[in-house]
Amino acid sequence: MKPAIVALALAAGISTATQALPVTEAQIQASFFPYQTESVPQVPELAPGSVINAGNVDKVMAYLDPAMYQFVKNGDYEITVGETTSFGLHQSYIDATRKYASQAELGAKTGEITAPGAGRPFPQEPSMDDPRAGEKLAWNYKYGYNWGDSAAIMPFYWYMKDMESGKVERTFKFNFNFLNYSRRTAQDPVPEISPNPSELFRGTYAMVLEPFDVKDTQLLIHKFQNDVKNDNAYLYLGFQRRVRRLSSGQTTDAFLGTDIMIEDFEGYGGRISDMKWTYKGTKWLLSPMYNHNDMALASEPVESDGYQFVDFTGTGTCFPKITWQLRKTYVLWSEPVDPNHPVGRREHYVDAQTFIIPRNITYDRNGAMWKTFTIGQSHPDHHLPQNKGKGVAIDDSFSMVDMQANHCTTGQFKGIIDPKLSPESRFTVQNMRASGR
Amino acid sequence: MRAGNSNLLPHALGLAVALGSLSMTASAADTSIHGFAENATYFRDGVGLSKFRNTGQLEILKPLETSGGGWYNVSVNAVLRATYDGVYDLNDEEFGEDAQQQYLGSNWHPNEDVSNQALTPGVPVPCENDPTLCNNLSGYMDEDSNDLRTPDFNDEWDFVRELYIDASRNVGDDQLSIRLGKQQVVWGRTDLFRVLDTINPVDYSRHNIYDELEDIRIPQWMLKADLLMGPNEVFDDMNFQLVWNFDKFRPNNLGTCGQSYSIVDAGCFFSSYIGFPDSFPVADYAGSLIPIIHDVKLPEHSLQNTQIGLKWEGVYGDATFSLNTLRYRQQMPSLHYRAGAVPGLPALDGVFDIHFPQVNLFGGSLDYYDMTTDATWRIEAAYTNGEELARDTDGHKQTDMARYVIGFDKNLMIPALGSTSAFLLSAQVFGQHVLEHESDMPDAEKNWTGTLLFKGFYMHNRLSPQLVLAHDVKAAATAIAPSISFQPDNHWLFNFGFNVKEGGNKKFPWSVAAANGDSSGQWEPLARFTNGPIGVANQEDEVQLTIRYGF
Repeated sequence: MKPAIVALALAAGISTATQALPVTEAQIQASFFPYQTESVPQVPELAPGSVINAGNVDKVMAYLDPAMYQFVKNGDYEITVGETTSFGLHQSYIDATRKYASQAELGAKTGEITAPGAGRPFPQEPSMDDPRAGEKLAWNYKYGYNWGDSAAIMPFYWYMKDMESGKVERTFKFNFNFLNYSRRTAQDPVPEISPNPSELFRGTYAMVLEPFDVKDTQLLIHKFQNDVKNDNAYLYLGFQRRVRRLSSGQTTDAFLGTDIMIEDFEGYGGRISDMKWTYKGTKWLLSPMYNHNDMALASEPVESDGYQFVDFTGTGTCFPKITWQLRKTYVLWSEPVDPNHPVGRREHYVDAQTFIIPRNITYDRNGAMWKTFTIGQSHPDHHLPQNKGKGVAIDDSFSMVDMQANHCTTGQFKGIIDPKLSPESRFTVQNMRASGR
Repeated sequence: MRAGNSNLLPHALGLAVALGSLSMTASAADTSIHGFAENATYFRDGVGLSKFRNTGQLEILKPLETSGGGWYNVSVNAVLRATYDGVYDLNDEEFGEDAQQQYLGSNWHPNEDVSNQALTPGVPVPCENDPTLCNNLSGYMDEDSNDLRTPDFNDEWDFVRELYIDASRNVGDDQLSIRLGKQQVVWGRTDLFRVLDTINPVDYSRHNIYDELEDIRIPQWMLKADLLMGPNEVFDDMNFQLVWNFDKFRPNNLGTCGQSYSIVDAGCFFSSYIGFPDSFPVADYAGSLIPIIHDVKLPEHSLQNTQIGLKWEGVYGDATFSLNTLRYRQQMPSLHYRAGAVPGLPALDGVFDIHFPQVNLFGGSLDYYDMTTDATWRIEAAYTNGEELARDTDGHKQTDMARYVIGFDKNLMIPALGSTSAFLLSAQVFGQHVLEHESDMPDAEKNWTGTLLFKGFYMHNRLSPQLVLAHDVKAAATAIAPSISFQPDNHWLFNFGFNVKEGGNKKFPWSVAAANGDSSGQWEPLARFTNGPIGVANQEDEVQLTIRYGF
């Protein structure tokens, strides 16, 4: 395409397909090992062990996202700083990126991509001059290593809390399982499970263990490789003893009445095509990333193997009792295409090394701050013994605070990277029926 | 009283042996024990207290470790339930053994027909009041007062609602999952209606058609075997299921006369008599009262009478489907006329025997997610042969039947209603076609019933209002059930609602009345079928409060 035509297309707001670009080894190294190629800013107030509170937060305001700054400034939460550490992803994912990334290109429309194989599709450093840089970051997130090829959270506790009183209104206990059908790198088969007639991308299976009124409920979500296609979702209701098909388009529904929309899952659980994505720059920010085993952990709930969950603190016990570390972060905005969407925009603070999204801020349609989502990440080598060396940033704690409703939902994970826990047979409708009670 | 299941144990043991060398020990995993205590207090307009049901339920799951035989995911599951309904002590003038009717059907229609002159009022709780009827109804609707108060503690040990073992093993690349024991097996995709969901009989005496089927299905001793084959080049998922119901046959419980819920008032009809005037010209009949029911012909508990079903189920793209076939017994009673020695007159010792004929069912179901409307469509259909329906002459006729349901589910965000949770809109149309219909059948040749559920969620889903509507087209009967539930925490649930019915105005001719010179429509005994469960309950408007503590 001639430059003049490109300019005209951009001026008219028309996307065009991007061309695949060669990826250099230097770009791979910079993308996966940023702390070897760049220096972490040396800020005295952010030395490991420092505590950021209402009294000193203004000195480090530049290193906090606006919502977290506000919480600390208001005295809702104090942040303890930890040492910045490398969360190196699994070598197989890096190798897949090296092999396939030069073939990745965006389609003409948002949500369209050609990215064969596996790995990070766009490892190049994002550029403010690239009008589709935000979209590329979104794809890097969606095709990120995330939980790896499969994982289980067993168990997974969710607490709904009144932020003023700290009263726990409801507690849910789940088991969650994840399985990538395609873009697999570490667990056989790679890169795809076959047969896969509907070209599934990812499966998520959840079973509710408590409380009694929703016990034995099972949820199965199939995401397709085609981003534009809505998920297929199935619900087994214990009291009906059958599988119901769900209409899956209402991703802004409050999941089980918690403060979390389905669209919020893992930082962003919707379709790429549902949003306009904008890259807003790179920052060094404090992120909730830590070594689980080094934290002051909760004494309850008790696990038979001695595992302890992350504790919660601050106003309403709505905040994880963890350390935060200074990390290279991409600031990514998503604005819903649908004018009736309740969200005005989300600010995603994307970890540059792992492409997980440990911090999110949601604004309402009036531009007011609405919710803020913290997903605490543990290094796998400092978690359960079986997670050591798995190259996965382990989702380990979460907090979704609805600042307008003064309400929060917090979560405690026991994440396990073990393919035996998430066999393909678990992600079928028939499994829901066979294991239903 | 009902006979016990003395043949049950050998069946169960034989099947357990057939599972192979399944050596089990208690797993390190903890035993899971949950349950609830519940009080349901209902008041009926003009009647007073209609339910004071107190229920305790325990649900126990014990994982087991196995060694040898290749079995895994082995667990034992039990559901125990104890119910005491205090309405028979607190409102004993209206319900229970002393609940006298002025005339048959006084709880749903006026006393204005010849039919009510010919039929006596139903005898409440016959086994407390009428030894002849109790004997005639033996094995079915023969509860005594204690059975009404504590329905789970009967000869079938219904307080053990479920007790089964689960186990899985690999068969080649597939997985075989077995569930053996007392259980519920649910087929189909339909709420409220039972098109394919016909494996377990149902206890309508608990709360007519309005309780969750899970709570009113009568669990049976069965083997369920699923061969899970997973995806292949065509289907995303595929499964074969075999269900073998080797339990003694049990029919639907329609509610004994005198119970607070007796669907289509069948219990009182079954415990009534037809009377002949003193002036009747045939000597043996003059001044006599002949019981409506002579005997209940329950099928013998034998291997030949066990019930068996097969299901093939799969996922193809955006559609999930099943094909089903089931050989079972009709769970609703069929009345077989007993002719007397005098042509045109019934036998002196009872007009009808109750039978439960063998039925073959062939059906299927499909659900489909439509992305354009972001809605789910559900279709379920069944064709049966062998069913028997009521008719005026001879009491019954065998006819093929076709039933189907088309359902539509959609989650809707409605910001104007002030909730961040989606509202659920669910609509269904149930159709029933009697394929060999006769003009003297009180059931319509073609009939449809529509249902609508609209449910909202507030206060982080802890406050949930809902509206349920059901309309029977041919009966011109409607049920409206608005309710609101509140869960202050993980344990407590409060549900408050109304259940209002309209209808019950259809009459149907009766040949006995016609023989007495009135060929116009009558209330008794056939219009109960024409008006259906909604219309016949037209005087059962209730305000209902349920309080549950779960743990």
